[in-house]
Amino acid sequence: MEAASVSIPVEHDDHHHGPPEANRSSRVDPQLLGMLLFIISEVMLFAAFFTAYFFLRVVNHDAWPAKGTSLPIPVAGTNAAILLSSSLTMHWALTSAKGGNRRGMKTGLLMTFLLGMTFLTVQINEYVHIGFAPHDTAQGSIFYGLTGLHGAHVFIGLTLLLFANVRAFRGHFSPEAHRGVEIPGIYWHFVDIMWVVVYSTVYLL
Amino acid sequence: MSTAVLQHPPPTTPQRRPLAAKLKAPGWYRVLWTTPLGFGLCYGLVTGIRAVSGYTPVLSGKAITTTSLIGVPFAFLIGLGAFDYWFYWAAGRRTRPEDHSGHGAHSWRDYFRVNTDHKVIGIQYVVNSFFFFLVGGLLAELMRAELASPGAQFMSANSFNELFSVHASLLIFLFIIPVFAGLANFVLPLMIGAPDMAFPRLNALSFWLLPIAGIMMVASFLAPGGAFSTGWTAYAPLSTNVPLGQTFFTIAVQFAGASSIATALNFLVTIITMRAPGMSFFRMPLLVWANFSTSLLVVIATPFIAASQFLVLLDRALGFHFFDAGSGGNVVMYQHIFWFYSHPAVYIMMLPGFGIVSEVLSVKARKPIFGYRMMAFSLLAIVVLGFTVWAHHMFTSGMQAWIRIPMMITTAIIAVPTGIKIFSWLATLWRGILRVDTPMLFVYGFLTMFTLGGISGVMLAMIPIDIHVSGTYFIVAHIHYVLFGGSLFTIFAGVYYWFPKMTGRMYDETLGKLHFWLTFIGFNLTFGPMHILGLQGMPRRVADYASKFAGLNLFISIAAFALGLSTFVFLYNVISSWRGGPRAGANPWRALTLEWQVSSPPPVFNFDTIPTVVGGPYEYGVQDAVHGIFQPAVSAGGGSGGSGGAAGVGGGGDGPAGTAHGPARE
Ligand code: HEM
Ligand SMILES: [Cu+2]
Repeated sequence: MEAASVSIPVEHDDHHHGPPEANRSSRVDPQLLGMLLFIISEVMLFAAFFTAYFFLRVVNHDAWPAKGTSLPIPVAGTNAAILLSSSLTMHWALTSAKGGNRRGMKTGLLMTFLLGMTFLTVQINEYVHIGFAPHDTAQGSIFYGLTGLHGAHVFIGLTLLLFANVRAFRGHFSPEAHRGVEIPGIYWHFVDIMWVVVYSTVYLL
Repeated sequence: MSTAVLQHPPPTTPQRRPLAAKLKAPGWYRVLWTTPLGFGLCYGLVTGIRAVSGYTPVLSGKAITTTSLIGVPFAFLIGLGAFDYWFYWAAGRRTRPEDHSGHGAHSWRDYFRVNTDHKVIGIQYVVNSFFFFLVGGLLAELMRAELASPGAQFMSANSFNELFSVHASLLIFLFIIPVFAGLANFVLPLMIGAPDMAFPRLNALSFWLLPIAGIMMVASFLAPGGAFSTGWTAYAPLSTNVPLGQTFFTIAVQFAGASSIATALNFLVTIITMRAPGMSFFRMPLLVWANFSTSLLVVIATPFIAASQFLVLLDRALGFHFFDAGSGGNVVMYQHIFWFYSHPAVYIMMLPGFGIVSEVLSVKARKPIFGYRMMAFSLLAIVVLGFTVWAHHMFTSGMQAWIRIPMMITTAIIAVPTGIKIFSWLATLWRGILRVDTPMLFVYGFLTMFTLGGISGVMLAMIPIDIHVSGTYFIVAHIHYVLFGGSLFTIFAGVYYWFPKMTGRMYDETLGKLHFWLTFIGFNLTFGPMHILGLQGMPRRVADYASKFAGLNLFISIAAFALGLSTFVFLYNVISSWRGGPRAGANPWRALTLEWQVSSPPPVFNFDTIPTVVGGPYEYGVQDAVHGIFQPAVSAGGGSGGSGGAAGVGGGGDGPAGTAHGPARE
């Protein structure tokens, strides 16, 4: 005989008014896993833009950058340094949060945020002075497309960091509960690494 | 397991709340002012920027519409309350303690709220999807009316283009993909013994993005220049040059896509981290496996269609030159990016159906699924191979010729895992004790029709044949054999199968069977002859045709109307049974999987205690087989995997399913 389920009658707990605690079938933290999956799909979004870049630059065999234009490699390089150092401050913030060092956590978060803002400001400034527009050539389009997509991600990262900052300065987070620092941090590192990829392919190669 | 639905006092919505409070609280009153406010902001922003940067004219309807299509939905969502919790969280304010008022539905009104209960969301999804199914179907009937005889009947060629574009986009992005997500939303957490999805608020948000996308697509008919008219594929540079309606598509796809990705992520995290103790991966029902695979596809592939539409939007709205060959753009690039999503997408539209078929078939044949592990592995094989075949849609696109042969070979190979599944289902039927009711009939319909669609697919994989029939009605026939005969039949199977679980009522079996036969016959009469038309060279997506095709087309149009009418049988059955059908028991199909071990409809929090899984999900006809037990398993209850005993003590009560199940053989 097949039994769908066997159950032993146990007295029913009438005061039970919330959902039962879910079983944890994996050691991975759900939020962390969610963020990692989200990053995978973000990577694919960049991959699609890089496909466009590949077609416009490699398959089309056109000059890069378009004739009569040049890319400010040193400026963008400085920006890369800024962004990479913000990864270090982010890491510092997280280590401090884990170690119960609130001052370190707050300073780290704030510095990361300010460095990210600096990056965006420099990038906008670069756009203003670069001397070509997205609607000039296809090369211009994909240059603005890729760097703009990245810029948008910096903006999202900054928004998350802003939340983390607000919460940190309002007294949240502790050595036991610091997911709100950790998860935006992971996203921020992703944004940084992505800039290394964008910078190398668009500016250096 | 207690069947007693945990009764909550209905959410505290005193009838007479002051208007000011209503306007402030999340809900439709707040929507009433946030949405116009959002529009005003978009209007001001665009006009301001244009004025400052000296564009003429300062007032641009196009620019305002484009911006509003992006901005207004957010204003709507904010009004409805989809973001409230996160706003509180982000501001570091005290988030309101979870009072579970977002759980369960007490009246139909609760389905129009941001509800975090996966069962409510599942029903929201399914009903919303079927609404757009009806709209899309109506558009198809209009097309068939136009095609009933050669020449123009009652619409212009461009109106016809609008019809097939909106038809396909609605049915793909607003019906097939989300309805599967909806069914899984309802049953998947129950099946794996979880109280809800991993991220209930994200789940609610994912749902509310869908009506937005759907309304946007339909609203494109109101745009100056008409709805989008470039097909669901929206090839550039056509799509970068047509009137404003195209922008509605471009942006609606972003909302639908975001919804898909968020749900997929939610499913993956739920499946990985929230399975009941003892439910190892190889004890998961195949529906769970199927949604696991689908979600992987969605997370990896969907960003590509998002990107393709971003690029089109940039070309359209800001004058970029991605697809303008004159300025160094590349048009074939669009197709590569689009199909790198959209081939995997055809599996996004099919794999969940495979899962439904496995559930129904095994229960109705009272036999374990043949080759369970092979079934799971072939799903994963399809996920991997699905990314290697995209250019089979581009054999005639003028891409580099050398890509063709590898793509032909991979396309032929991908039919192998699909074939494995078909044969496993057939082997499951072999010597089973078959109960051929409505869900099973639809499964039979699926098995036969999908196989035909797969065969025409393999034909299309062969380059010479494809060059001959690409862009003809043969493709239309193939699409509909796989999507209608394949996906839609599994959807019907699933809806009938879980109808008692979702509503607590039984549908009418006779009407169900009638619905099946009308659909099955109508479907074949409609789409079967399209193979012939295609081979004879009748082009797809054209409003007019040569008079030699007149006979078959008239025949098809008549069949299509009959097919359309069959839907009313379904609607009548579902609506009347939901309102007044006989009460369904907890487990009318005598199924083993966990969703059937709780009452119908399930209690608000699914389980009192999380069950413990001690065996496979399909051990029908096997002596003393047990899948899940509602007691803390001591020392892993005779099974491997899982943390036995972790299920928490207490709970229990009389299992609605109880131990007493009829003998395996009827
Ligand atoms: C054995 C499996 C399959 C093979 C080998 C196959 C092969 C193909 C090929 C080669 C084409 C391109 C035809 C052309 O445009 O010239 C095609 C088109 C298409 N297939 Fe399949 N297919 C298979 C299964 C499926 C499934 C399961 C679905 C969806 C559930 C599907 C949906 C479509 C759609 C929607 C198109 C048309 C796209 C368009 O141009 O609008 N196919 N198929
Ligand atoms: Cu394909």
